[in-house]
Amino acid sequence: MAALNDMGALLPTNIEEVHAFWVAGGSCDGCSIAIVGATSPSVEDLLRGVIPGAPKIVLHHPVLSVVAGEKFIEPFRLAAAGKLGAPFVVIAEGSIMDESLAGATGGYWSGLGADEDENGDPQPIPSSSWISRMSKHAAAMIAVGTCATWGGIPAAAGNPTNSCGLMDFLGEDYRSALGLPVVNIPGCAPQGDNMTETIAAVLLFLHGLGPLPEFDELGRPAWLFDETVHRGCTRAGFYEEGEFAEEYGDKECLVEVGCWGPVVQCNINKRGAIGGRGGCMNVGAPCIGCTMPGFPDSFAPFYATPPGTIVSSNISRVTGSIVGNLRKMTQNYQNRTAKWNKEGKVPSGWGHVEEPGFLQKVAHFAYEKLQFRNSPKPKESTHGNILEHKMDWKKKENGQLKIK
Amino acid sequence: MCFKNLPIAFDEDGNAYLKEGVNDPYEYKVVDLGIEQDKLKDLMAKNGFIRSVDYDPVTRVAGALAFHSVVDLEKKKVLSTNSMATLFRGYEIILKGRDPRDAAYISSRACGVCGGVHATTSALAIEMALGIKPPPLGIVMRNILLAIEYLYDHPLHLFLLAGPDYSEELVAATNPELIDKAGNAKARGKAVHGYSTVLDIMKDLNPLKGKLYLEALSMTRVAREAYVAIGGKYPHPQSVIPGGISVTVTISTLNEVYSRLIKFFDYSQKVTAIWDDVFDFFLENNPDYNQCGVRPATMADTGVWDRPDSYDATFENCDKWGNDRWSTPGVLVDGEVVTTNLRELNAGMEEFVEHSYYEDWDGHRFKTDPLGMPLSPNHPWNKDTIPKPGKQSWRDRYSWDTCPTWDRLPMEAGAYSRMYLTAKAQRAPKSKFLQNTGHSMIIQVPKHTLPAATLEWKIPQHWNAFERNRARAYCIPYSAMVAMENWLLAQQLIREGETKVSTPYEIPKTGTHIGFGAWGAGRGFLTHHLIVEKGVINNYQIITPSTLNAAPRAPWGAPGPYEEAVLNTPILEKFDKPEDYQGIDILRAIRSFDPCMPCTTHIMAKDTDHVVTREVTTCACGIE
Repeated sequence: MAALNDMGALLPTNIEEVHAFWVAGGSCDGCSIAIVGATSPSVEDLLRGVIPGAPKIVLHHPVLSVVAGEKFIEPFRLAAAGKLGAPFVVIAEGSIMDESLAGATGGYWSGLGADEDENGDPQPIPSSSWISRMSKHAAAMIAVGTCATWGGIPAAAGNPTNSCGLMDFLGEDYRSALGLPVVNIPGCAPQGDNMTETIAAVLLFLHGLGPLPEFDELGRPAWLFDETVHRGCTRAGFYEEGEFAEEYGDKECLVEVGCWGPVVQCNINKRGAIGGRGGCMNVGAPCIGCTMPGFPDSFAPFYATPPGTIVSSNISRVTGSIVGNLRKMTQNYQNRTAKWNKEGKVPSGWGHVEEPGFLQKVAHFAYEKLQFRNSPKPKESTHGNILEHKMDWKKKENGQLKIK
Repeated sequence: MCFKNLPIAFDEDGNAYLKEGVNDPYEYKVVDLGIEQDKLKDLMAKNGFIRSVDYDPVTRVAGALAFHSVVDLEKKKVLSTNSMATLFRGYEIILKGRDPRDAAYISSRACGVCGGVHATTSALAIEMALGIKPPPLGIVMRNILLAIEYLYDHPLHLFLLAGPDYSEELVAATNPELIDKAGNAKARGKAVHGYSTVLDIMKDLNPLKGKLYLEALSMTRVAREAYVAIGGKYPHPQSVIPGGISVTVTISTLNEVYSRLIKFFDYSQKVTAIWDDVFDFFLENNPDYNQCGVRPATMADTGVWDRPDSYDATFENCDKWGNDRWSTPGVLVDGEVVTTNLRELNAGMEEFVEHSYYEDWDGHRFKTDPLGMPLSPNHPWNKDTIPKPGKQSWRDRYSWDTCPTWDRLPMEAGAYSRMYLTAKAQRAPKSKFLQNTGHSMIIQVPKHTLPAATLEWKIPQHWNAFERNRARAYCIPYSAMVAMENWLLAQQLIREGETKVSTPYEIPKTGTHIGFGAWGAGRGFLTHHLIVEKGVINNYQIITPSTLNAAPRAPWGAPGPYEEAVLNTPILEKFDKPEDYQGIDILRAIRSFDPCMPCTTHIMAKDTDHVVTREVTTCACGIE
């Protein structure tokens, strides 16, 4: 491991290249498409080796590779045999299928590359056979997307291929050459930066530049998946005030039209889908739990109100209606300048603004008493003489900065 | 009278009926492929120049595709081809028995390249089956979303997947004689793209290094940013629902879309000029390239982009609303339009599994469509998906893909089919931005930083690999202008107070309800066929563009589109020894279709009451 005080280079270069084998099993390629949208960091920067402190990634990906056929497969064969001569990680996309079912009739579900059979005819090599052989030599096995992490839709009830995730396939005792269990980056598809950031974090750790990234008990990057998507939702405030969308397109909280956000671990509302834009609930689409091990069956039928909501949203209707109304009262005063208060009139050409009534004034008086209980209320403006406003900052008293 | 091979005739009122007096109206011949394989084995044993060339996997395509060919490296000819989809997941089986509302989200996952079109096609199938008409703004927002999907899809293919085959690095390795010529070839589009010679362009096509390669990556992100303003995320949008769309449409939504869409005005001009220069160079320097990937322009397309004042989701009116689309549905046979009606497009479809890893099925539940047009037992509504994995054999079964045909003809699909049919049929709505002349599509691109321009895509004489890619480049301005047109409509609807985006509906607990969704994927033709019975999905069948293109042989021996295109491809690559042969011409031919395999395979459901489940195979249309 390179030390930061290595004077030989500005940043460590002890590992110059890491090979990454992208093995797609029962996949839709959506994770591949998603990672190409990443910008922090971008795929092309990782592949070109232009991120100081991170090694260059030599990617073997069926969609991006320049070479085809056996030329493409050759490094896979070397890695599977432990003869690549360079460190490598395997990035698995797609469910792992039960090839023993297909093999029983002489076939396969998911093939990559081919070996000759006894007649010299090519027969596809099951993708899962690459996974199991390469896992013995890989520095890390990284599952991307809900199919590779937990099984996803190909493993849903009624599936004919008996699919599962990478963790199920390799077993709980599996450890990579670096001693890591399977790393899981779920999502259907995962947010692109969630993938490149985790990969970069592992690479920086290997160079001694970063901490060992923290993973939760299911192998998820903890800093990305600790919180529910509801906690980062731009509509969560509506929930708090008991306001709910009744039909698609409404601006309020979506739980009653089928959103599972309050129990789903995901960061898409905070991070956005790409470049900080989008995010399912931010635009108005209910969460169906696509990052979760229970997806899809535990969240079906999609679009129906989750049962938990019957209790929780009604509680928030009650508390929220009180809180919401009190907030509106405060908000009305915050929409006024000191001048308008003094003059008792809002000079807007856009519409008539009601002056607060007696009760509101009383409530506001009490509110301000509380607000300024530990500090003076800003003085009213004395027109014309700016010098009178010279402020004399005193030292910290009782933990408060005071203005004389 | 659009059908030549199926036993469907029409009376004087235009009503279809099954031809009478035919003993077994849907009978077909099954050819033994073993005879051909024996001959090939014999030839290979005798002649060292005749060899088997296999690509497993074919890279730079989406999903799992393998390709087998036998080539004569002396005569520079391809003798035999087999296209193999190498993945089966069983989506159609998984969908069976579920609440129909789950279909859009689950079937979206059939393909990670074009998830939005699967979600939308599924929504259309449900809307037809259950009679749900979305409000105008819901329709318009879907149109914008799905036009933008193409704006990240096409550049990705042109520059990241197909593009490297025309880059300086690859051309220098396979056809070094072209490099000097390219250095001397003046680029005609310099005023737009800034490159002086074709070689300059080719250098910037180099993978991971070239500026055009990297620019395409960043432009796909621009499009995705616009996409997620409506879809929430990509590639599987979260907001497409039966009955419309689940998006709170505000000024910000439209602004975030528009600020990115306008970047594609300039980019459209640049991309079309780039590829015109590169492809004209190849075709002018060696006219034999006209034969690369050539096949008749026999293609099918579902059409895409519904007019909000026309689409009512009904089967009864589907010919009308189909013909009102911004992209005209229909079928081309050898370059001629034989129908633009969705009902005829639907009725002509069949699927065969003689060379696929599926068992044939029994039964002929739906003998006609809801209005009486005869349907074959091999029609998707009648199909059952019964997977049967087996050994790969060129004599017998070799693909997870089925063989779909229309009127018993293997059909090609692509973004280009969409443009070809629309240009030729001249049925699309009148538009300031798009004019169809019968032999070309004229696209008016507004100014952004470049001045406004008139682009014209002309229907080519030879339907080959170069023209497929060129047409795909012109599909970028085509899609951008449809997005523009719909963006203006969205503004208008909001001005008029038409802000509803979805129609509520209930799932009927009784009865049988059938529907089909027809909507273009990035690479063309896509249908979902749905049967809802007693409130749950009884059968679900998907036919994707690559199901059509990657098809194995038809039972009667006709090759699938990839197979046919490669069979016609001359070997123009330069090599000294047979071992050095790389097969660039074959790969160019295959990649010109923009293969996307994830959703190509089907799956079958076993012993279900008429459920067909189809699976989608891997589609790899992606990148990365």
